[in-house]
Amino acid sequence: MASHYHITLKIRRYDPENRRSWIQNYHLEAGRILRFVDLFRKINNEQDPTFSWNSSCEHGQCGTCSVKINGKPLLACELLVENAVQYFNTPVFNVEPLEVAPVVRDLVFDLTKAYKRIDQVKPYVISPANPPSDQDEYSISPNEMKQYINATRCINCFCCSSACISSHRNFLGPNAMLASMIRVLDPREKEKAQRLKILYGHRGVYRCHSSRACSFVCPKEIDVAHFVALAKAGRFNDPNNE
Amino acid sequence: MNNRLRITATLHCDLLIIGSGGAGLRCAANVLDKRPETRVIALTKNAHPQKSHTSTAQGGLAAVDPGDPEDKTIYHMFDTWKGSDCTADQDVIKKICDSSWEQILWLENRGMHFSRNPKGKLSKRTFGGHTLNFGETSAYRAVFEADRTGKGMMDTCWGESLKRNISFLNQSIGTELLFKAGRCVGCLVFKLKEGEFIRIFSGATVLATGGSGQVFKITTNCRQNTGDGPAVALQAGLPMMDPEAIQFHPTGMIGPGILASETLRSVGGILRNKDMEPFMAHYAPRMKELAPRDLVARAIASEIRKKRGILSSDHKVEHVWIDLRHLPDAVHEQQIPEVSGFFKKFLNLDPKSELCPVHPSSHYQMGGISTNAFGEAQDHLQRRVPGLFAIGECAAASLHGFNRLGTNSLLELITMGKFVGNKVLAYLDHLSKEPTATVDFISFDRFSQYLEARGKNKIGQIRIDMQELMTENVGVFRTEEGLSKTIDALRELKDRADQTALGCKSLRMNQELLQRWELDNLLTVSMAISQAALNRRESRGAHFRDDFPERDDAFNHHTIVIMGSFNKVEIKKREIDMSIFKAKDQHFEKFDFIERAY
Repeated sequence: MASHYHITLKIRRYDPENRRSWIQNYHLEAGRILRFVDLFRKINNEQDPTFSWNSSCEHGQCGTCSVKINGKPLLACELLVENAVQYFNTPVFNVEPLEVAPVVRDLVFDLTKAYKRIDQVKPYVISPANPPSDQDEYSISPNEMKQYINATRCINCFCCSSACISSHRNFLGPNAMLASMIRVLDPREKEKAQRLKILYGHRGVYRCHSSRACSFVCPKEIDVAHFVALAKAGRFNDPNNE
Repeated sequence: MNNRLRITATLHCDLLIIGSGGAGLRCAANVLDKRPETRVIALTKNAHPQKSHTSTAQGGLAAVDPGDPEDKTIYHMFDTWKGSDCTADQDVIKKICDSSWEQILWLENRGMHFSRNPKGKLSKRTFGGHTLNFGETSAYRAVFEADRTGKGMMDTCWGESLKRNISFLNQSIGTELLFKAGRCVGCLVFKLKEGEFIRIFSGATVLATGGSGQVFKITTNCRQNTGDGPAVALQAGLPMMDPEAIQFHPTGMIGPGILASETLRSVGGILRNKDMEPFMAHYAPRMKELAPRDLVARAIASEIRKKRGILSSDHKVEHVWIDLRHLPDAVHEQQIPEVSGFFKKFLNLDPKSELCPVHPSSHYQMGGISTNAFGEAQDHLQRRVPGLFAIGECAAASLHGFNRLGTNSLLELITMGKFVGNKVLAYLDHLSKEPTATVDFISFDRFSQYLEARGKNKIGQIRIDMQELMTENVGVFRTEEGLSKTIDALRELKDRADQTALGCKSLRMNQELLQRWELDNLLTVSMAISQAALNRRESRGAHFRDDFPERDDAFNHHTIVIMGSFNKVEIKKREIDMSIFKAKDQHFEKFDFIERAY
């Protein structure tokens, strides 16, 4: 495998001042294990400081740097140059923002608006059951947790929402469904009726078309579609009913 | 003055929180829990609170379980005191350790997904520096959520705030604190997306902006950790305490510096040099890989200095190895899946069969905005600044002194967040009326200067130069010569920064304008760190002076830095609180200025 690559990034840019959108090409020399966020920074430092992009932790824990590379939604901090060249079989990459919310500038889209869908499923315990005592934690067996623990790994990067064929309008989206299901299954949540109403409501799981695109793109490798399929099969109506 | 800059709105609230990470939102949740009608506004520079640096913490949260037959709170206090190299404040240690388990239960009862043992109760693991019976054996004291404890905590604090009707202002920065008759009455805020300034008047203001890891070239910190809170406080004439106390995580992954958690060592990972020697035995014969972070970081740096490191051709950085090859598959898959996966993901290597390259990475700022044990901000004479509070990594009360123990930072966020919430409520009770008077501010002058400056310098290059300078001279090892050189060079960098024309003059989502503001903050904090490090002619905790390698009793005090201007830095002292020692209760002698040996 090569130690360096000649890369071309064809980046979709957007200027909110005059609402102009265009594609700008950047040519870069890049080491094999540089990440796409490193490439973006390299562009800022060496070629064009005006190009805007989003990131925070830059190691796949926060889900801020989601972009579409050659049509695939992914985290720019997790994509190494050599893996990208191999996976897409080209050194030329189209880079676009996710379309799950309006674009603010270049690759920065409005995550606050995207999160409105998550807020609607109430990502917290609505009504906590009483703990065994004031001085104690709940007992939750590892087997019980196994049912939903994978869903708690979701970082709301919105890659699944971007890939989902039905999430752009009425469906709240795969990640919102995960947040909803966690508390349906969490024994500490007393308010199950409201939970089920959200999950099976008119913007809930039945909007899913089972394309499984969510599982395919999830950077955390959560089988989102499996969770949604279980919900659609009615498995969560009564969490005690195996 | 740039004529596009104007105040587009004035908002009023009871509590303004600047920074929406774990500390800020624990504070918000406490205030809203106790008094739901409180009007709370929380700002974050990030795209969303869930994207805060808190979310990236992996290892765990230290707390003594009252049901544990072996562990005792006094042991936790002792470990924290000893770990701090006798520079933490004992009133703060006592307060935080005493209320730790209660806060674990708060998180657990509100839905945090802690890892469980087969009985369904909270699992616990060991961490470096945490011991039973005053250093006898390792303590199982840290509760955790797999290797994403910070995320679990952040999700819970965010959820609890959201549930209680908080107003979030995402992608917004607090550029300047507003004062009226010595009282903090709010903050001038720049909304990045809209490119608009707004004025927020608040009964109480809490700074919770996080750390300043971006001062260094190699850091585990998020991109946005640029020391904004301390810089804003310093610019308001308020002091920063112990800025020179910066922890370098011993095992950052080469390249981006990403944290390879202490967990790797606690499950049995072994550090090796180029000759494959497990070198920690030379530096900490008993604790070896589990010795506190600064000892491990210096051990690694020493190996590299002695030419026993390995050069990475890709990143042009020397490193040592962490060997995880001997660990059973079950450990890789169940205990360290995310960390172990990092090596695969970011370096294309398999830790089950290959050695992993690591080197010290700037990780945590122990110092910060000077506060008392309740998180109330103080001036340089230790008088309370009415209306202003500071918590989390941007603040120093101080729990960590000159070296923080692993798992104590998340504990600090959650406990201090709660304490400050209580103090805010008490403060609001005694507040007479809403301040509506006009207040002077200077942010427009600064932003005009940013927008109208001329010159060919580039922000990115100045930032890289600053990071290299700080990493080289103010990192794991420090000397008089290197520090003096750095202070001169920082002044030059500041001049260069002032002669930098922006490519983009727009106000809306102008990343370059934000980076220009951040660069000023980074340079301000770098100057405070370097001056304090130069002044402290001894070695203590994470602050290691090559020319003064021993701890010196003459420096048994905190450093207080005030900056009249960038070129005018004053250094003062603050006494270390020794209240546990002075109380003369059982084991008080353990809380004297003891030797920090492991």
